[in-house]
Amino acid sequence: MPEINKNTKKPASIQISPAYEQWRLLKDKLARYGVVAGGLGVIVAIVLIFFYLLYVVYPLFISASVEPVDHYAAPEQALGKTILLEMEEQNEVAARFTESGQVVFFEVATGKVVLTQAIAIPEGVKITSFSQGSPINEGAVIYGLSDGRAIVVKHQYKATYPDNKRLITPSLKYPLGETPLVIDTTGAALEKIAVKIGSDASTVIVKSAGKIRLVNFAKEQSLFADEAALTRTDAVLEVSAENVETILVDKDEANLYLLSADGRLSYIDISNKSSPLLRQEQNVVTAGQTITSVSFLNGDLSLLIGDSTGQVSQWSMIRDKLNHRTMEKIRAFKVSDKAVVTINAEQRRKGFMAIDADGVLGIYHSTAERQLIKQQIGQAQPVAAVLSPRANGLLVELADGQMHFWRVDNEHPEVSIKSLWQEVWYESYPKPDYIWQSSSASNDFEPKYSLTPLVFGTLKAAFYAMWVAIPLALMGAIYTAYFMAPGMRIYVKPTIEIMGALPTVILGFLAGLWLAPFMEAHLGGVFALLMILPLGVMLFAYAWLHLPKKLAQKIPEGWGAAFLIPVILLSGWFAFSVSVPLETWLFNGSLRDWFKSELGIGYDQRNALVVGVAMGFAVIPTIFSIAEDAIFSVPKHLTVGSLALGATPWQTMSRVVLLTASPGIFSAVMIGFGRAVGETMIVLMATGNTPVMDLSVFQGLRTLAANIAVEMPESEVDSTHYRILFLAALVLFVFTFIFNTLAEVIRQRLREKYSSL
Amino acid sequence: MTAQHTPTHAIDMSSVLQGRTTHDEQTEVCIKVENLQLFYGQKQALHSINMEMPKKKVTAYIGPSGCGKSTLLRCINRMNDLVDNVTIEGQILLDNENIYDKSVNVAALRRRVGMVFQKPNPFPKSIFENVCYGLRIQGINDKRILEETVENALRGAALWDEVKDRLHDNALGLSGGQQQRLVIARAIAIEPEVLLLDEPASALDPISTLKIEELINELKEKYTIVIVTHNMQQAARVSDYTAFMYMGELIEMGATSQLFTKPVKKQTEDYITGRYG
Repeated sequence: MPEINKNTKKPASIQISPAYEQWRLLKDKLARYGVVAGGLGVIVAIVLIFFYLLYVVYPLFISASVEPVDHYAAPEQALGKTILLEMEEQNEVAARFTESGQVVFFEVATGKVVLTQAIAIPEGVKITSFSQGSPINEGAVIYGLSDGRAIVVKHQYKATYPDNKRLITPSLKYPLGETPLVIDTTGAALEKIAVKIGSDASTVIVKSAGKIRLVNFAKEQSLFADEAALTRTDAVLEVSAENVETILVDKDEANLYLLSADGRLSYIDISNKSSPLLRQEQNVVTAGQTITSVSFLNGDLSLLIGDSTGQVSQWSMIRDKLNHRTMEKIRAFKVSDKAVVTINAEQRRKGFMAIDADGVLGIYHSTAERQLIKQQIGQAQPVAAVLSPRANGLLVELADGQMHFWRVDNEHPEVSIKSLWQEVWYESYPKPDYIWQSSSASNDFEPKYSLTPLVFGTLKAAFYAMWVAIPLALMGAIYTAYFMAPGMRIYVKPTIEIMGALPTVILGFLAGLWLAPFMEAHLGGVFALLMILPLGVMLFAYAWLHLPKKLAQKIPEGWGAAFLIPVILLSGWFAFSVSVPLETWLFNGSLRDWFKSELGIGYDQRNALVVGVAMGFAVIPTIFSIAEDAIFSVPKHLTVGSLALGATPWQTMSRVVLLTASPGIFSAVMIGFGRAVGETMIVLMATGNTPVMDLSVFQGLRTLAANIAVEMPESEVDSTHYRILFLAALVLFVFTFIFNTLAEVIRQRLREKYSSL
Repeated sequence: MTAQHTPTHAIDMSSVLQGRTTHDEQTEVCIKVENLQLFYGQKQALHSINMEMPKKKVTAYIGPSGCGKSTLLRCINRMNDLVDNVTIEGQILLDNENIYDKSVNVAALRRRVGMVFQKPNPFPKSIFENVCYGLRIQGINDKRILEETVENALRGAALWDEVKDRLHDNALGLSGGQQQRLVIARAIAIEPEVLLLDEPASALDPISTLKIEELINELKEKYTIVIVTHNMQQAARVSDYTAFMYMGELIEMGATSQLFTKPVKKQTEDYITGRYG
């Protein structure tokens, strides 16, 4: 339209210079790219964190593998059949103990003989029995002789570094003297034998002349002499020695196990060496089957019993409530259908290796109930086998005279879905349970890596915190946004928001060092407060309603809350001062003791109640602030519309305002919950960090986050423990991620439904 | 379309105040404003207003922005109580009862005096729940009564045919004109005596405006209607009586035809002829 063009001629004064125009566009572009880069940066950072966690956790789930390195003819076969194979730490030198009393040390990789040594066995005496002591304790072995004597030998390895190359020199040592010890004074041949060499005492158990004999040598350290004198205790056990094939003594030399080939297990308490006590006798294999191999699991708390059906069952000592100890089968592993010929336990973990009569090898982990490897080693029956101390190599001698050396890669056998999340029957536990107990002072400890108690603790802490925070924060938000005078609101809102800026370490510190002992001492007061405070507020509200008109008019509308402050303080004071006589009168002086004695509810000083209050305090500002904003920003025309229809302010609030603000209130609660789940310092300091699964408000807990904080500094890098802590972090990450995503989806849907124009 | 409602007699202030003197139809007084003064803090917004609004007629308030017509309207259902620092003197009689009496229950008053705002304000609920909101807050939850009332109210607001198949959809999905009629349905669902309309069509397109105006014509059969409008043509079309306000004062009130054709006051004439406003 030409006439319009005439009218819109630009005045000269508002000509935009091209340079400015370009600068304007440049700024716009910069801002846009800056925002995009920032946003992408955040996403990339989160993805990187996620993948780093995954990268550390991933090796836990790599399956174990074995690979053959070499095989060669067993060295010095003329010296007799192998009765024990041993391997030293570095997988360089192995030892072959023969039935003729010779020890052949050879290179693992090639089979080249390093040293051959004969054990000092007197002339004219035959070897009648043999057994291995604890493989960990410098590998003691014992030979039982035909004249009732026995000789104990240790094989040792010394590493030297001539020309900067490692050289391992093997040697033999006689810890109980080079002359054989007289065990059976009658001179009967020792048919079966077992030994445990301890630092203070050693025990030898033999079967000879139809009897089981126990001999204990206790060292008595003299203050003046360098050499300790040995005190000898002898005992003959009153149990049937018939058919006894295997004798096992645990490392404490307190429990003795006798197994017969037909499957009878006798458990004998030998903590008193002079009077052993038969505790239990039972059958451990199904009738008609036989025990084909037996070994202790590392730690000597469980027996691994291999039978002719190809099954290895784990039997552990269980103590019942009456302190009555019995052996119970806690789990079983199926190796194959052939008899299990050898069982070798790992020396540092709860894993073991079993080989059946056909040369099928299985590597297992007991706690994880996991079969890690199944592999055919050779075609002949195994004669002897050994797993290296680090469980990274194995040596098997087969009946065809070939020695097979395999490398094992089995870094993290402890982890399985079951061991992480389900109930596991741990050694010595009366029943399967969820336990987190990652480390202890001893090396043969069974690590218990159940994440379930930690997830439980995390949710429990968040749950109690939300119980405290949601009512207070939401009610506060509703009042502040909807009923409070604007003049008061401008002080109240920032004050509560500043609470959120309080470092949580201070809250945790206060909770742990002040609140927890305070609550313990004034538990009655806390409960009285729970009842008296609402009562006081109600009474005040009632009085407020019936305030004389003259007085009521003087108080500006919406300032009523200010008058509640003294009411709350007064109720608090009243509750704590009335609680002492009340407790004396009703609960014999202490509510805490009354709970314990009358209801059987135990009280931990650091408990979920303390955490609930402290973490609730930390979460309140978050929930309050977001919810308050949401309620406050409900459009005025909706409230006015509702009021104009004759609704009371309360009806308007509950039917229109809360509904419209529901997406905001929902996300406030979710963000608060997310914070409670991820919170570390407060739970670290106020929960006691006890990973128990108990819903009781008076019991402690341990959260995933606190667990990571507590244990990460003490875990060995790249160990299973370390990676499981990362897994806990990943679980926390994934949990919060899924939870937040879900919350966001729900919030979007609520917003679609309820957001107003 | 409003021609049949044009009164034949000229009605001046006194005749309106006298009520039924000049009219063959019933012109019983419904709302009587007596010497009403309103202050926002120190600032006086309404100066000694006196007027009467006859029953089952449409009274329109016209006047330039800020003249106090909306304020006056909001006094009739005490919505001004929600504004901070407001002081009201004088009285408003609804059926000869002073609504500013201390004994009056404000929520009950507002149930009798419904109000529709300039901007459609349906609640973020379903169409059904919007209409029965006024009943539910009175504790009426009988499904049969609710359904009946909702249908009647929606028919009354000429919306039933458009929404009867989607009563349980969110009301925010309706168009602006439909929303405004929904809000009217919501207001008449509780059967008020008076309907206050605060520029009900100013945010709507011409077609929706037309529908609202037709609706007002139908509604006056049952309700006393007070409407604030910026649009003088609208006032002329829909109202029986018109009050012209200026600077917080009631300048002139009379039968619509008379006020628009033969205004008594010069200010009124200036305004309706477009000299200011």
